[in-house]
Amino acid sequence: MLPKGGEVAMKTAQETSRVLTTKSTSPAALPDLEGWTRFARRAEECGIESVLLSFSRYEPDTILAACAVGQATKKLKFIVAYRMGLMQPTTFVQQVNTLSALIDGRVALNVVAGSSTLEQHGYGDFLEHDERYARAGEFLTVCRSFWQGDGEVNFEGEYCRVEKGKLHTPFVAPDRTVPEIYVSGHSEQAQQLALTQGSCWLRLIDTPEKLRPLVTRFRERGVEVCLRLCIVCRPTRDEALAAAHSLLPGDDIGRQERAILAGSDSQTLKQALAAADEVGWLSRQLWAGLVPFYGSSAMTLVGTPEELAEVFLQYKRIGVTQFIISGWPKLDEMLIFGREVLPLVREAERHCEEMAGG
Amino acid sequence: MSLRFHWMLPKGGEVSVATPQTPLEAARYRIEYNSAYPAPRPDMDGWSYFARCAEEAGIDSVLISFSRYEPDPFVVSCALGQATEKLRFIVAYRSGLMQPTTFVQQVNTLSALIEGRVALNIVAGSSTLEQHGYGDFLEHDERYARAGEFLAVCNSFWRADGEVDFEGTYYRVEKGKLHTPFVAPDRTVPEIYVSGHSEQSERLACSQGSCWLRVADTPEKLQPSVARMRERGIGVCLRLGLMCRPTREEAVRAVESLLPEDRREVTTGLKDDSQMYREGAAVTREAHWLNRSLWAGLVPHYGPVWTTLLGTPEELAEAFLAYKRIGVGEFIISGWPELDTVITFGREILPLVREGERRMSSVCL
Repeated sequence: MLPKGGEVAMKTAQETSRVLTTKSTSPAALPDLEGWTRFARRAEECGIESVLLSFSRYEPDTILAACAVGQATKKLKFIVAYRMGLMQPTTFVQQVNTLSALIDGRVALNVVAGSSTLEQHGYGDFLEHDERYARAGEFLTVCRSFWQGDGEVNFEGEYCRVEKGKLHTPFVAPDRTVPEIYVSGHSEQAQQLALTQGSCWLRLIDTPEKLRPLVTRFRERGVEVCLRLCIVCRPTRDEALAAAHSLLPGDDIGRQERAILAGSDSQTLKQALAAADEVGWLSRQLWAGLVPFYGSSAMTLVGTPEELAEVFLQYKRIGVTQFIISGWPKLDEMLIFGREVLPLVREAERHCEEMAGG
Repeated sequence: MSLRFHWMLPKGGEVSVATPQTPLEAARYRIEYNSAYPAPRPDMDGWSYFARCAEEAGIDSVLISFSRYEPDPFVVSCALGQATEKLRFIVAYRSGLMQPTTFVQQVNTLSALIEGRVALNIVAGSSTLEQHGYGDFLEHDERYARAGEFLAVCNSFWRADGEVDFEGTYYRVEKGKLHTPFVAPDRTVPEIYVSGHSEQSERLACSQGSCWLRVADTPEKLQPSVARMRERGIGVCLRLGLMCRPTREEAVRAVESLLPEDRREVTTGLKDDSQMYREGAAVTREAHWLNRSLWAGLVPHYGPVWTTLLGTPEELAEAFLAYKRIGVGEFIISGWPELDTVITFGREILPLVREGERRMSSVCL
């Protein structure tokens, strides 16, 4: 996850809480090219493949942020989050294609049907949750017609209409003509959208047991599964637990966070909050304790490098292929992951392959 | 105020062609949207080189045009802005392509990434055919009404501190709020160039713009409308092509070489419902010389923005000063080829203009 503006320099998790990043005085409102470039270059060194850029009214536009950071990097890819209902699909494809041509195809999309109703109204979008998914389906159908078709695009749907659409700037990448499309969301509509229009379903981490049937369903239809999570990794489990607990904000911020999160009509968030309230720990490594304060993506794996590597491999065994990770402080935790956890995962993967091969 | 000179950003591939282009080759590059041409691809090497030459020539901004044949101008400005330090970008965009809130978020993000070096050229729409491909099915007059609402919402975001609420025929925004501000050393709202020749476009420029952008005509013809705009605090910027040669005869020969071999060739039908294009197509052969320096001979073939100012450096400098006297403040120039012409302009013409301006201001004192 690409840190928000100013976060690369922040040392405590509390500074990155939603209460603070949604204030108009937050540095999250401004692009942080210096911090982002530093983070992006270290991410490349750590073996990170892509960074996800989140979209909200509190942050800079993701397509332009990806363009700027993309100029300063060589390998890193950018998963650009965008919501439906904000622009015409033709315009969106023209921007994505232009971006791809400028940064050697290092762009993927994270399509979000919408967010809180309040925030969508500020963008001029007045559809309800279920309708937003129907529109996202049409939107992506039009986008795919541009990417996959050679001729003119004609589409007449409920929400989108395009006649003789044609764009001359193609999607440019060394290995593909259509960007990867991550569709996120937990609702049935989100899953359907991922199956029909996505290349990967992006969802919050849960236990392997709970995820197995869902993952199987996607893999059978040729769609990958990517999990969103946070990590706290320390040399011993006790240190990891202490570090995780130190991330909890004070009561005051906690109350305000709850109020912000309650305004969302995302099913993903509702499920995550329920998990945090009811169980706290979903398994020995998976902790929901931070969700009420940092949002649903704060579902956190806590443990030693060995424990975490083993957990990633468990997900691999049930068919999960990708992860989008964050931690606190943003840069430090990524460096720990790159240095301590990833080599163990790669070693075990090599071992598995040898076993399979031999 | 000194005159401000902007230039048209060359098409992708135009600057990096291996052999020097004749004016005709360069002109054809601009008008032939052959899919084998590199124009649809961003051309960072060529553009960065052009941008540095433009900065050196004393050019203020480059206009990046919008069409389905080219890369997106926001994304291009963002990339090119990283490679330049002074040059500003006038991003052309049409209304009807995205929600105004999204548009403001992109403009503000871009401004923060390139130190505020961004201005907007708002076009109500283009050919009906092209607009349909973008999912826009409004007619000409309605497009102006919509552009008015679009800019009203944008201006509310830029001017208001609180939440934006708007309920119009085309747009509705409720409790709109963006945290990324427009960032510039000297302003909190971008300059907005509104282009077009119709009465609606003039009204839109006055109500929502900071500058009216139109094709060059003779100073005599322009004087009343320029005066009207200036009285209302709106600047006027002229779009023109430039052909500068050591002698007038050479300049005339060079522009005439741009005429298509088949004199019946027209590309203006593409923008059937633009008033600017209807006017351009109506210019008759006899009337091609609007005055001694201003030639509309290319207009019936390629469109109104090909209205060309031509002559020697001295004649051209004097022509720019004549516009200054009636209140025109800015120009967006094209040349064929763009690179050669911008270099000539910076070396031969601009110093004469600046000298003339110094003379004018000392006379005023």
